[in-house]
Order: sequence, then C-alpha cells, then structure tokens
Amino acid sequence: MNVRTPRLGGGLKGVLAATALAIGLTMLSTPALAAAPTKGGTISVATIGEPPTLDPMSSTADLVGILTQHMFETLYTFDAKWNVTPLLAEKLPEISADGLTYTIPLRTSITFHDGAKMDAADVVASLKRWTETASRGKQAAKLITSIEASGDNAVRIVLKQPYAPLTALLAMNNSAAVVMPKGKLASPLTEFVGTGPYQLKARVPDQYIQLTRFEGYKSRDGEPDGYGGARKQYLDEIRFVPVTNANTRIESAVAGQYDYVDSLPVESRDKVRAGRSELVMLAPFGWPRMVLNTKQGLMADVKVRQAVQLALNEEDMLFAAFGNKDFYTLNGDLYPKGYPWATQLGAKVYNKGDAAGAKKLLDEAKVANPTIRILTSQQYEFHYKMALVAAEYLKVAGFKVDMQVVDWATLTQRRQDPALWDVFITHSPFLPEPALIDFPSKDAPGWWDTPRRNQTLDAFNQARTPDERVKLWKDVQQAVYDEVPFIKVGDFNAQAARAKTLEGVTPAPWPYFWNAYKTAK
Amino acid sequence: MLRYLMNRIVGLIAVMFIVATIVFVIIRVTPGDPAAVMLGPEASQQDISALRTQLGLDRPLPLQYVTWLGQLARGDLGQSIFLNKPVLSALADRAEPTFWLTIMSLLIATAIAVPVGILSAVKRGTVLDQSVLSFSMFTSSVPSFWLGLLLMQVFAVKLGWLPVSGYGGPDASIGTRLSHLILPAVVLGVVNSALITRFIRASMLDVLRDDYVRTARAKGLTETRVILKHAVRNALIPILTVIGLTTALLISGAVVTETVFGLPGVGSLVVSAVLRRDYPVIQGALLVIAAIYVLINLFIDLMYMVVDPRVRY
Repeated sequence: MNVRTPRLGGGLKGVLAATALAIGLTMLSTPALAAAPTKGGTISVATIGEPPTLDPMSSTADLVGILTQHMFETLYTFDAKWNVTPLLAEKLPEISADGLTYTIPLRTSITFHDGAKMDAADVVASLKRWTETASRGKQAAKLITSIEASGDNAVRIVLKQPYAPLTALLAMNNSAAVVMPKGKLASPLTEFVGTGPYQLKARVPDQYIQLTRFEGYKSRDGEPDGYGGARKQYLDEIRFVPVTNANTRIESAVAGQYDYVDSLPVESRDKVRAGRSELVMLAPFGWPRMVLNTKQGLMADVKVRQAVQLALNEEDMLFAAFGNKDFYTLNGDLYPKGYPWATQLGAKVYNKGDAAGAKKLLDEAKVANPTIRILTSQQYEFHYKMALVAAEYLKVAGFKVDMQVVDWATLTQRRQDPALWDVFITHSPFLPEPALIDFPSKDAPGWWDTPRRNQTLDAFNQARTPDERVKLWKDVQQAVYDEVPFIKVGDFNAQAARAKTLEGVTPAPWPYFWNAYKTAK
Repeated sequence: MLRYLMNRIVGLIAVMFIVATIVFVIIRVTPGDPAAVMLGPEASQQDISALRTQLGLDRPLPLQYVTWLGQLARGDLGQSIFLNKPVLSALADRAEPTFWLTIMSLLIATAIAVPVGILSAVKRGTVLDQSVLSFSMFTSSVPSFWLGLLLMQVFAVKLGWLPVSGYGGPDASIGTRLSHLILPAVVLGVVNSALITRFIRASMLDVLRDDYVRTARAKGLTETRVILKHAVRNALIPILTVIGLTTALLISGAVVTETVFGLPGVGSLVVSAVLRRDYPVIQGALLVIAAIYVLINLFIDLMYMVVDPRVRY
C-alpha cells in the first residue's frame, strides 16, 4: 500500500514528545480515540455492482476479487510493501539453481469450509484447474511442464524456462490460483468452498452476498501485514450489497446507510466529508491509459504513435477528468514513487503537448488519412473527459479525430477487433507485479508484438533476482516510451467512505475486511 | 362474451409474437458481448470465444431465433447468461419489490388525483382549479429521477427518516422493506398523478353538464351526493382507462426509479441485463412486461362492463 507517512526532523521530535505526554495524561480521563478491537457485529459494504461469478479463477474483474478473497485463499499474497508473502504456503518457494523447479511447502492443519483437511492433492488439482480456467493460469501454463505433489505437504512446479512472475501470479486475487477441495472443482463451480476467514452463507443476486465468519479458520501468526500476516476475523458477518448507481452510493455514504461504500466519484469528496461517513482515500490507486492499435490501421506505424505521444498534454487531460489536483499526479512512468518498479524515464516524451514536433513526425509517416478513431465510454466519465481533451490536442497536431462513445459492454467487444479502432481508453489499479498487467500478453487488445518488446520482456521475466528484475524493468519501460504501444496518462486516486464506527480497514485497491471491527457509536 | 375473450387471447398471442421478434432483433444487432462482460477486462479473445460457444452465442442468428421461439412455445423463457438460472425464476425473485412499488404508487397517484381532479372540476375556473392545473403540469414534466434524488436528499440524507437505497438485508422485517418503498412510491405516484388528475377533471366536466345531473340537483339532492353518487360513477370509464394506462406506465417508470433507489425489482433487473447484455433476461422481461400491458388492458375493458351496464361484449 502506498500510504505516505511524514517523517519528522530531529529538533521537532522533543517538542512533540512533550506535547504527546501532556495530551496522553489528559486523555486518561477521556475515551480512547481508537477503541481496541472487539469480536462481533455485522457490516454492510456497498459495491459497484453484482459480480458476474463467485469463482475467482474465471474472472479478472476487480469486484470478483474483492468479494472472493474473503472466502478463498491463494498459496501466496502481498504484504503492505507489495512483496509476495506466504498465505497457504508455509514459506516462500525453494527455487532450484536453474530457476526451473519451485518447491512450495504447505501449511498443515488447514481446513476447508466443509470441514475437510487441505493437502497437497487439493493444491495440485486446484492449480491444474487454474491453468485450464483462469486467463492468468493459461498465461503461466505455456511455461509450466508439470505440477505435482511432493509428499502430502508440498507441491512442485516445474517450468520450461525461468519465469520470475510465477509467485506473483500465484498471489493475485483475481483470475486467482485459489485452493479448493479437489472433489469440488466443477466448471462452472456449483459449491463455493475455500479456506478463507469468511464463508458464503447466502447469495441473492443484485441484493446481497452474505459471508459469515469461518470458525475453523487457521490464521497466520503475528500481526496483519497488508493482505498477508494474521487475519483476525473480528466481524461475525460481512454483507456485500450492489449499489450500481454512483449517485446513490454518494447519498448512501452521506447518510451513513452502509458501513463501507466503495468507489465514490472524487468530485463527491466535500459532500461525503460533510456527511455521516469518514472519507477513505487511496493515493495513488491506478492509472488510465490510451491503448494504441499496433496491429492494424493508422497506429501500426510507430512514427504515428510517437506523434500521438508527443502531441498530448496529460496535465490538461487529468485536470479535465478529475477537476482537482488532490486526485491525480502527473507521472508518465508505469509505476509511481514508492514501488520498486518506479523509474523516471518519461521526461522526454511525457506531457509535452508539442504540436509542431508531433506534426513533423506525422508528416514523415506520410499517412493518407490521419483520422484517429478513439473508442471510449461515458460509463467511466473520466475516460470520456480525457478523450475529449486528447482529441483537441491531436487535432492541433494535424490529426482528425472520430470519437466513438459507446457503453462499456460494446467497448469490450469492439476492442477485440483490430479493424474497428485506433485508440481506446482504459484504466487499471497499480498491480504489484508488472507481469499482471495485460500488455505483456500479445493477445491483449493493442497486440504489441515486436522484437524489442519480446527481448526486453523475456529478459525481465527470466531474471533471477529481484534487483536484476528492477534493473531490467527500466528496459521495458524505455521500450514502451520508444515504441508507444500505449500512453499512460497519469496516476489517480480512489475514494471510498466508511462508517465512523468501522475501524481496521486499510485503504487498498481491493478492500478487505477480515481485520475490520466495529466500535461503539 | 366468450367469443370476445377468445378474440382478445388470440390478439395477445399475436402481440407476444411481434414483441418477441422485435426484441430479439434489436438486442442481437446491438453491439456488446455478454461473454466479454462476464470474463472481465483482461480475458483473452480465446476465452471469450470459448464462452460464446458454450452459451450458444456463436450459432447463426436465424437458428438462435427459431430456438428462442420454440422455447417460448413451451413456456420456457430460457436461461439467464449472467445469473445462470431460468429467466422466469430470475423474474419471480425480483417481482416482489416491483409489485409492491406498483401498488403503492398507484394508491398514492389515485389518492392524489381523485379528490384533486373532482374538486378541480367542481370548482372550475377558480384559483384552486388553476393551481391544480399548474401543479399537474409541473409534476408531469419533472423527470422521475430528479424528483427521486431530491426526495432522497431531503428525507433520507438530511432528515434521516427513510433509507437511501436498497430493500433491506436478509433479516429485514416487512416494515423495513416497506420503508424502502416509500420514497420511490411517492416519486412514481406524484409523477403519474398528473395524468389521472387531468383525465378526472375533464371527464367530470363533461358529466357535470349532463341533464341527469341537473335533474338530480332539481330533485333536491345534496351537492355531495350529486357529485359522488351520480357524476363520478358516470365519469368512471375514461378514469378507468387512464388508471389502466398509468399502471402500465408505472411498470416502465419503475425502471428508472428502481435504479436510482437501488431496489432489486424487475425494472433494475432489465437495466442490469442491458448493461451486461444478458439477452435471455432482456427478452424474457420485455415479453412479460408486454403481456402484463395487454392483460391490464383486457382487465380494464372487462371492468367497463361492471361500471357501465350498457357495455356488453
């Protein structure tokens, strides 16, 4: 998580320490500001909609991950610094010297919601289903030779070539490699039995999904650490309620109807602050990008893509989209500060608004018809606003623009066909491992597939140490700037609201509640 | 009478067939792919194609159409792609909030419209009449979602008297569920009362000019008895017509209101189904709504016989 904590200078510390002592003495006679956690209570969480499935393997939708991460667990997960940390695995995998064999020891005495004990056979069967069902699993399957049990309490994965992102893929919570009982792996899934701290009690589509505490849960020892560490299960019950209309979510947050309201438009900040809920800001949350069609049409020419990159003024695009500098940061690099993958390579090409330079590149490309078809949707209002501003800068640079504004379902269909678009707009949260982003897959719309892309990504994925990977990531980043398969617009923040009586919720891209607890009003 | 009913039923089947065809064509030619929506943003084209095959969406359109008609003939509205359950079952699960919302809205609309419309006709030309006309013009022009958000702001957010959205949790009492319906019902009731008010006023004005009303007054009956026993009864046929139309309008108005208030009714199911391209649910829901429209019209036509003994089929 990237929650910034201010650091204090030396001289100030003494003054503050004395002040803190005085305040502390005063507070002995006043109620504690943050009450100690107590077990019990039910919370209602308003989400953006109904998940298409409760099978975490079969969808990459964030909403599916948010819900199912309470019911199912993966071998690994991410800690507060976005490092991979063991969850159902006992510890990080032992990797052979050639990087091809991963031996993963499993925790013992783990029970499923139906009372059965988890063993290596369940893990192997689940991982095999993951490689057949989940898009991330299918991506990994191309590099996996075998998955087998190594005794009752360990599994072994053998690869065809070194693949550093493997543990991150095993830690991700959507298209997730969760562990389920081997006898309950039907496709489609009919029973939702996992090892997670909460189990499914009832699901009434478009009304609520009711999860209750799983009393047989075995938490890791120690303290919570991001998604890892201990999971305390204070709450008796968590109810997820779909509230699809953004305005209704805002009003619900102001009225304090739900304990947590996810995904609030940032322009509602002042209204929510004045209401009965507390604001929760995750800064930064994600990044919008303009994806360019490198396969067919105008954008197949790299000079044209470079012209688009040079023409854009991302500052104006972000301001139009979010309206307030508190909600975004100008940053062309794929990762923001605080991530090991952060670089500062974008200076020459990002936020230039250089119409003359762009026009020169466009002229060199000798394009017969410089009309760009921009595919976007008002279902994400900020996409649409960015597209409007981008269109004007592109026109000044000599392009013509054909804006195609459709609903999201139409966009997800049309972007699969390279004949139908030149640019489309999307966004995603910052993912802890670059291999989890869609662009490394050649099948992802955009279809970036060049020798340089393949060389830099292969080297990055086959690197053996984290330091080496960080170093090689710079080559991938530079390749993105030079070949322009997509253009990152910036970093933006996400906003949610929680009840004043709800504590223990850490701002996170996929909110989780296994450490949340209710306090007295 | 029997012959009349048979003719109406044949007409119902013909309307259903036309609606089924139009709905099928419109939805299928609209872009958007349910498989892509279900699998999420990072699914590959192969996964999407595989799911389309599994769902039968890759078959030729005429074949899908014939299969659809065959299912309809057996009373089978198909299987929801998104909910993975029969469409009829999905609609039945969602019927309760819409049913109570429609009843409550209708009661509110008639409770406003009947006395106001009658008074307006009786006091024609006065300040009261002018106020009623202006108010009904305002309420018929105001968008229901705007009124809904306004009432939500005042009564749910600022005053906290009523919930903002939803239909109550799994253990909600009937009282709690009804409290979730109050604001939406007021919205729909107020917006739809305008048309009924105007019809009642116009119908009453016609009747009040008739000879038998003058005769009743000449006989020495009180004005109240003249209005309520003689005039209203004879003004009922157009009033019944507009109440029938309004009931049908309420069902379609529920689409917007249910979305604003987060009510899990048939209206919001249709909206969700459109956004997620759940073709069987869109088709099934629209067919059921069309059938309800036709049946309401039939019921109103039969009610004419009750209200006016001169009407016989």
